[in-house]
Formats: sequence, structure tokens, C-alpha cells
Amino acid sequence: MAQNEMLAMILAGGRGSRLRDLTTKVAKPAVFYGGKYRIIDFPLSNCANSGIDTVGVLTQYESVLLNSYVAQDGRWGLDSKDSGVYVLTPREKADEGLDVYRGTADAISQNIDFIDAYNPEYLLILSGDHIYKMNYAKMLSYHKEMGADATIAVRGVPMKEASRFGIMNTDGKGKIVEFEEKPAKPKSNLASMGIYIFSWKLLRKMLVDDMKKADSDHDFGKDIIPKMLSEGRSLYAYEFSGYWKDVGTIDSLWEANMDLLDNKNELNLNDSSWLIYTEDVSTLPQYIGKDAKVKRAYITQGVRVEGTVTNSVLFTGAVVEKGARVTDSVLMPGVVVEEGASVTRALVAENVHIGKKSKVGRKDSEEILLVAKNVKGGTK
Amino acid sequence: MAVKAFGIVSSADNGTHVEGLHDYRPIGSFSFLGRFRVIDFPISNMSNSDINRIQVYLRSRPRSIAEHIGSGRHYNINSKRGKIQLLFSHDTDTRSLYNTDICTYMENLDIIERMHQDYVIIAPSYMVYKQDYRQLLDSHVASGADVTLLYHKVDNAKEYFQSCYSLNMNKQKGVSSLEKNLGTAKEKNIFMDTYCMSKEVFISLINDARKLSSVYTLKDIINIKCKDLDIRAYQHKGYFASLTSLKDYYHASLELLDYNLASDLFQTDWPIYTRTTDSCPTKYLESSKVTGSFVSNGCIIEGSIDNSVIGRSVEIKKGATIKNSIIMAYAVIEEGVHIENAIVDKWAHVIHVKDIRGDADHPQYIKRRDTL
Repeated sequence: MAQNEMLAMILAGGRGSRLRDLTTKVAKPAVFYGGKYRIIDFPLSNCANSGIDTVGVLTQYESVLLNSYVAQDGRWGLDSKDSGVYVLTPREKADEGLDVYRGTADAISQNIDFIDAYNPEYLLILSGDHIYKMNYAKMLSYHKEMGADATIAVRGVPMKEASRFGIMNTDGKGKIVEFEEKPAKPKSNLASMGIYIFSWKLLRKMLVDDMKKADSDHDFGKDIIPKMLSEGRSLYAYEFSGYWKDVGTIDSLWEANMDLLDNKNELNLNDSSWLIYTEDVSTLPQYIGKDAKVKRAYITQGVRVEGTVTNSVLFTGAVVEKGARVTDSVLMPGVVVEEGASVTRALVAENVHIGKKSKVGRKDSEEILLVAKNVKGGTK
Repeated sequence: MAVKAFGIVSSADNGTHVEGLHDYRPIGSFSFLGRFRVIDFPISNMSNSDINRIQVYLRSRPRSIAEHIGSGRHYNINSKRGKIQLLFSHDTDTRSLYNTDICTYMENLDIIERMHQDYVIIAPSYMVYKQDYRQLLDSHVASGADVTLLYHKVDNAKEYFQSCYSLNMNKQKGVSSLEKNLGTAKEKNIFMDTYCMSKEVFISLINDARKLSSVYTLKDIINIKCKDLDIRAYQHKGYFASLTSLKDYYHASLELLDYNLASDLFQTDWPIYTRTTDSCPTKYLESSKVTGSFVSNGCIIEGSIDNSVIGRSVEIKKGATIKNSIIMAYAVIEEGVHIENAIVDKWAHVIHVKDIRGDADHPQYIKRRDTL
């Protein structure tokens, strides 16, 4: 891609409060996924693989870890001379006071100076908390081909779930005629993925206008997109059909991990032409002990299994000791399941220790158990 | 804090040949425990010892090592203050008598002379061990010796370490001579081909060796100089293996499947760095049965594996059984194939031959990119 033709901005300020204890200290984009990744590795790797050189990451909520994580742009190969990943947190400005990002559009508005410095023709807006693989260069070609003012990536969702999403109604040729946020009676099943390409000149003007409006939520979905439609601008839906997950809850995060065990899973992380990059850690390969039993599992380097692991995902450095059983569960980095303990239908947070012979979770539980604190050893 | 020594990583001499594997790459580039290459060990030892100027000397088939080391950034060396240099020899014939370490040093003597550091640590790219070179350097400086040699006391020199040298020492750990290990005794002080000396002594040894004979190695000249110079030995403790024969390589790989032994070599305060391939985690399917093995990322396992080392992105299909073997990266073992006591090189595809067996003493070697 020609230098600075398109700049990407990743909205990574959300807390993801339905992920409960997983996001008390870190923002949702930094949550672990898939044995070795953090969620934000997906949009960042997609950018790198799509040939986008410069990425701004807008952070706000509990951003210390996320800021230092994304600042190491070499992880995604975004460290060549002309590229970089830039952390953009709310800041004090010369002409106005320090203000938090009041909405998704406001986060971009407050960084107009950053974007102007690169003078891009197009601006790509992404969400930092979705799991998917997408070539944004193809989306840009579509945007140009349609001569659009804005292009919004959409994905077909089951009709009965459509009322949970922002739904795009199109004219059959891809032109968006109406946008409905969580409609009670959806007219289409094309959900917005929160991925937008705008022609920067136009968006810049609209953002400047929007900032002046007192009654605006300064949000792309609520304000900018409806405004563009009302002005009769040409907005196009770019249909995406691959794997896409917004992991908003413990159950959906667990499910997304379990998807990786499915042979028919569309999210192929083994495709060498579109790898997902992440932090490089120095560990031994995974070690499967002499008495271990491992079936239907997704396991990464640095893991040691001496017990039984079934239908589970194990992150870097997790240990399953002798006689311990891990079933239908996700063990995040550094989790230790001590001798004789059992973990069932649970998502165990980073570095948590499950004490000897203790039992965590139930086979028939309706919801997935989140274990965020150490569990003392049992006596039995 | 950078130390007062620069590092040299040397290649195996022309008398060393590891069956099969060595036809494709130097020993430093051999895959080890699935995700490492042997050269990761000396370079990580140097990096962890705060040595940030490192010269890697390559005498044959440099492609894989050059690619693996690249900018050297993954070895955690400051990219401004430090540097990993790849230095080549004009003579790349592995069997040539003239292709010696001294010859390569001679060709790059101006670069060695320009180094700012007062001392040099020379370590082999074909041995696996963990050593803090700051301790070796401190001991060398404190003793006032001209040269300090690192050695390991072994009790299996009859079976292994056949192309290594042993040190003959007096009680004060003064080295009286170096001698090729001919397997005459079980217990030997095996020389770890690791040297510590001042830059001046190193340069004078290179010049002296060249004056005496065009085919002398650094080992040869040190052996000759034992009488004139103060040459001492420093004992290494911990895990040590020399990967200088297929038997030694196979033995070391399987020996480290004892997790306690392996974790001694891999401690969190002494990371062994390597180049990441960004492969995803390994997937174990319903039919998989894996015990006592190291498995790298990116694999798909449907079959059975016991007491083996599996490299990156390997596929073990349904009903395949792997025992006491090393399967290197990207190999595919098809349904129903049995492999025992074997080393399967990268990209090999075993499909038609259903039974491959070697001996515990002499593993069967399957060639790189071969279809069987």
C-alpha cells in the first residue's frame, strides 16, 4: 500500500465490564485469547498483514498494561522505518482542558492533529476487542470501487439474534439506506462489525462539526453514521463472511476459545499467509508428561501437563500436575492446577493456583465459572 | 552493564561430521528440543552474561544460520550498543584440511583487532550448556592465567564425546595437554571448546598457529603452548552435551525428556532466546495419545507419541505411532506409520513406508524433504 494512503485507528478504550474480574486491571483488548494471544493482536496483525504501516491505538480504561503492550510495535512487524504503533490516551491540550474520550467519534476528534500529521487519504476505524481475520486492503478497494464516502464492514448474523446488533439495511447493491441500532424488528441480518473506512477529508469536517454539538454522544453509530445518511452521503456495506466474535461475556470468551478445538472452525490460526502475531516469550516447548492424557486440547509453548486434559485450552506456562484433571476449561497464562485437583467448565484467570485435591466448577453448570483468585487445597 | 569481553561463536572443525543432518546445515543450525537451534545456547549465554558484541564465524552452508540470527534482535542485545556480526570464511569446503578456525580468524583479523574489549570468550555453536561467562572471565582475570579453558567432568566418555578433546591437568588445574577422546576411559574432563583470554593473547595465538602450520586449529596451538603459557581449566557444572555425532545428538535430545534435567537448563532468570515463527498453539485431537514428550507449537496431533521430540508445525495423523524419535519441523507422518528410534528431518513426508525403526544406539535418519 502506498505510504499513508490509509491510516488505522483502533478504539481500545472500553472496559468490557461483563468480563468481570478479567478486566478489573486491564482493558478488554488486552484480555487473553486462544492459548497465546491477546485480543488486540487480531486487529494489529490484520493491519500488518493488510499492508497498513501506521496504527494509532486509542486507550483510556486501565490502560497501563495495554499501552506498554502495543508500544512494542516490532511484535507485529510494524517497526520498519515508515511504520509504527502509537498509543493515544486522552491528554491536556494547549487550547482546552484535559477531557476523557466521550465517545468513539470523540476519541478520533481529539486526535485530529495526529492524523493530520500523516495526511492520509482514507481512515480505517477498528475495534480493539474483536476476534477475526480480515484483509482491510480488500475493503479499501471496495470503498474506492463504490466511490463511497464511508464503507462499513457487515456480517450476516442469525435473524433471531439480529436485534442485539446495529443493523444495516441496504438497497440490494450494497448501498446502505438505513441504519438501526438494536432494532426490535430487524429488517435485515447484516450487523455492523464496527469497522469503518472513511474518506478522511469528509470525516474530518464532520468530526469538527460534531464536536461543537452539545446534544451529541460523539459516537460513530449514534451520531456520525446517521448524520451521513441524513445528508444523503453514499455509504456502502462491505460483507464479510469469515469467523468474527465479539467476546463480551465470560461465556462467550470461553466459547470462542472452545471454537479452536472444533475441526470445522473457520478461524485458522495455522495459515502461514495470515499469521496472528503476539508477544514472543522464551520458554521450553510444551511438555506432556509420562502419565499425562491429552485429548481435544489447544496447548501452547511453556505448558507442562502431567495430569489429564480434555477439551481445554492451555495458555503459556500453565501447569497441570499429576493426577489433576482439566475438563472443558480455559487456563490462562501461569495457572497451576495442583496434584489431584480438578477444574471443570471454568475459565481460570492469569497466575491463579488451584490447590491440591480441590474441585472447581461443575460438569452440568449452566454458566462458565470464572476463577480469578487462588483456590486453597482440599482435604479429601 | 556490558562486560569487558566480546564473544566469538565458533563452528565445529572439519573432522566433525554428523550423519545426515550435517549435509544440510552446520551443527549450530540443527533444531534442538523442537523450538530451538543449537546456536541459541551460546548466543543466549553471552547475551545473559551481558556480552553485547558477538561474532559468529561460519565456515560452511551459512544460509540457515544467517537467516536464523538475522539482526539478532531476538537475542535481547541493545541494537545500538551491541551487535551480532556474521563472519565468513572464503574456504567453505567442510572437508578441506585448510578450512580451520584459525584460517577464518586470520581472514577477519582486522575486525578482531578493532574490538574495544580487552578480553574474548570463545564458545562453540555445537554444544549445549548454560554458563555465566562473567564468572569464567572473573576467574580468568583473578588467576592471572594466559588462557582459561572450560571443561566438564563426564562419566560416559567411552560411549559419547568421541570427537571431543579432554584436558590433562595438574592438581592446581593447570592444563598440561589436550588429547582427543578415544573412548579409553569412562571418566574424562571433556574440553567444552570454550576459551577465555585477552585479545592480545588471542591475536598472538592466531599468528603463532599460522607461522607453524597452515592447517593448525586454535586447539592445536593451545596444546603446543601448554608448556610456555599459563593455561588453566575452569569446571562447568550443570547440563552439558556435545552434539558432534548423530548418536550424541540423539542421546542428548532424548535425555532432556527428563523434565528435571531440562528445567535445569531452562531457568526463568536465564532465558534461551530463539527466533519466533509465530506459529499458533498445537492442537490435540480426540484420538491423540501423547506421553513423555516435548511438542512445539503449530502441530496437529491425531496419533500416538511417546518419549519423543516434536518440532514446529508437524502433523501426526490418525493411527501413526512415534516412539523414541525426533521429528523435525513441518514433517508429516501419515496414517498408520510406525516410527521408532529415528530422526526425521524437516519437511519429510512419511506415507508409503509404514515401519521405520532404528537402534537405540544408532537412530535411523530420514532425509530433509524426502518422501518415503
